[in-house]
Amino acid sequence: MTDLDTSGYWRKRLALDDPLPSDILKKYRSLYRFFRPIFFAIMNLLFGFYCKEKVYGIDNLPKPPYIMAANHASSLDFVAVAWAMGKRKEELYPIATKLFYDFGFARFWMKVAANVVRIDTVEDFFPALRAAAQILRAGKAVYIHPEGMRSNNARILPFRPGVGVLAVETGVPLVPVYIGNSWKVLPPGSIFPFPYPLSVTFGKPIEMGPYIEQKKTEQAYDVYKNVAEELRRRVISLQEELQAR
Amino acid sequence: MLEQEIKTLVAKVIKKPEADIDPNANLFTELGVDSLLGVEIFAALDKKYGLDVPEEKLKNVNSLNDIIALVKELLAKKKQ
Repeated sequence: MTDLDTSGYWRKRLALDDPLPSDILKKYRSLYRFFRPIFFAIMNLLFGFYCKEKVYGIDNLPKPPYIMAANHASSLDFVAVAWAMGKRKEELYPIATKLFYDFGFARFWMKVAANVVRIDTVEDFFPALRAAAQILRAGKAVYIHPEGMRSNNARILPFRPGVGVLAVETGVPLVPVYIGNSWKVLPPGSIFPFPYPLSVTFGKPIEMGPYIEQKKTEQAYDVYKNVAEELRRRVISLQEELQAR
Repeated sequence: MLEQEIKTLVAKVIKKPEADIDPNANLFTELGVDSLLGVEIFAALDKKYGLDVPEEKLKNVNSLNDIIALVKELLAKKKQ
């Protein structure tokens, strides 16, 4: 085992050995969830008929807990994925930065759409990771955009390595997801969506076993980065597969 | 010597020769350390010296000298 094995530190920071509060999921359960069926019925018109959203690879979804990681090109990305998952969308807990969450109008719609978790990625790196780890320990799925910001086009930005920390230290699988054309459907600044064909492709889960083994002989930082890079490669592969269809 | 030990450990974590680490240089803007690698430095110190570095302290550390000062402070507290 390498003398730079820092698992003990990360376990402390992620509170992985602390008792899990029994009401942890209630904390994130939205008060507005009663509007959710109406909201998704409207989204059905948008995604199902107006944009003719195509869903690929839904059978690749493992049982929770898992981390779902998608590219980010538009503010409707999460809703497009949740719609694609049907009833299983309730197992997803999306992580939202305070930048958007603290904007009242956006917050209302976020809470209607999902049991959203507010984080501060700039100042509160550890609390954000802890919140995500608690949701995973409670048997649910965490939804993230590892690019950390919208690309606003078809380009997939570098993935931040924090996703590797969370996946390796909790040991849950990572599900790569590619959302196609969302940046055309709802570009920045637009309120009304355009009728471009939208798609959501779920990739095969990336298991953490090999990376946990790798961490016994390599510096943890390199392993976390390897996970983030492999995840990005898988998302790009999904993009290329879609283009070849 | 504690200072040298810490410098050796930091150099190992950030994969740079010790000679290239100016103790006053900003690790993040001058030595190319990203935030996660910054945390890894503290994770390595935590392991070596059994320190539990408070999360809020990490925000104020920018150079090797800052790290050495913080480790000394925490070791002194630990002895009390």
